[in-house]
Amino acid sequence: MSRRLSAITLAMGILVGAMGLKTVVMSHAKGSVLVANGPAPTPTRPKPSTGRF
Amino acid sequence: MLGSATLVIWYLGTALELSVVVCSLARKSFLRYFFLNLYMLLSVLTSVGRWYLILSGFGVDTDQYRYLYFYTDALLTLALYVAVISLFADVLGELHFAKHLRLSAVVLLLGTAAFSYSVVAQSADRLSTDFAYQLSQNLYFVGLVLTYLLWGAVLKLRETRTRLVQFILSLGLYFSACAASYALKNFTNRYDDILKYVDPLLGCLLPLAWSLTIVRNTEETRLAPASLVVVPR
Repeated sequence: MSRRLSAITLAMGILVGAMGLKTVVMSHAKGSVLVANGPAPTPTRPKPSTGRF
Repeated sequence: MLGSATLVIWYLGTALELSVVVCSLARKSFLRYFFLNLYMLLSVLTSVGRWYLILSGFGVDTDQYRYLYFYTDALLTLALYVAVISLFADVLGELHFAKHLRLSAVVLLLGTAAFSYSVVAQSADRLSTDFAYQLSQNLYFVGLVLTYLLWGAVLKLRETRTRLVQFILSLGLYFSACAASYALKNFTNRYDDILKYVDPLLGCLLPLAWSLTIVRNTEETRLAPASLVVVPR
């Protein structure tokens, strides 16, 4: 039981760390998209306020 | 309209991604590294889909291309996440953590999806569009943290399987280089003309590194252990 709780706690810790890192990085973003998949050309970032990409 | 350099990099990257799968099949390692190959195969298929859209007359900045790009990007990031977890399972395999690793991976994925949902939940209009983008970006950061943890585990457990070490190292370098490119883009606009080629080029280097790893090393290849340090008594 304790090992299961440790696994869940570890996952939550990683999530908090990753989202914290994202918040720090994205707070200085100027609209560019962080790309991590493949060689295809990247379109501009979706417009968050319009409900459309 | 896409420039010729962009197209050449795109073709080259897709060919290299396909080469990972071909090399794996040729070296009979396809099932051994199934999730890495699945990621590469999905990446090739998404490239074909994106090409089809471009050839059908839709530009890179059309809504159609954006929809396809960000939805397939979320799918690819999910596949990359599963690939990283499979590398974790390989490295920690001897410690009999498999059951707990699966639990952690599922909790982490659900947590990331919940966080992404909470970001876009205020607007029902944006759920179908912005969610894919948010999930992709959030999973990227989770993958980045996981890769560094994985590298720490490799060092701590003194992993010597060459293929495994090189897969993880190249993945860590790829994530780091993407983050560095992103930081540079936000730091200054001066190099935008050059930086627009950097991300696609990085997308070529990961499959190249994985292909070379598969071709040059067998499953039995081991790294030479580091020299023993003489500790004075």
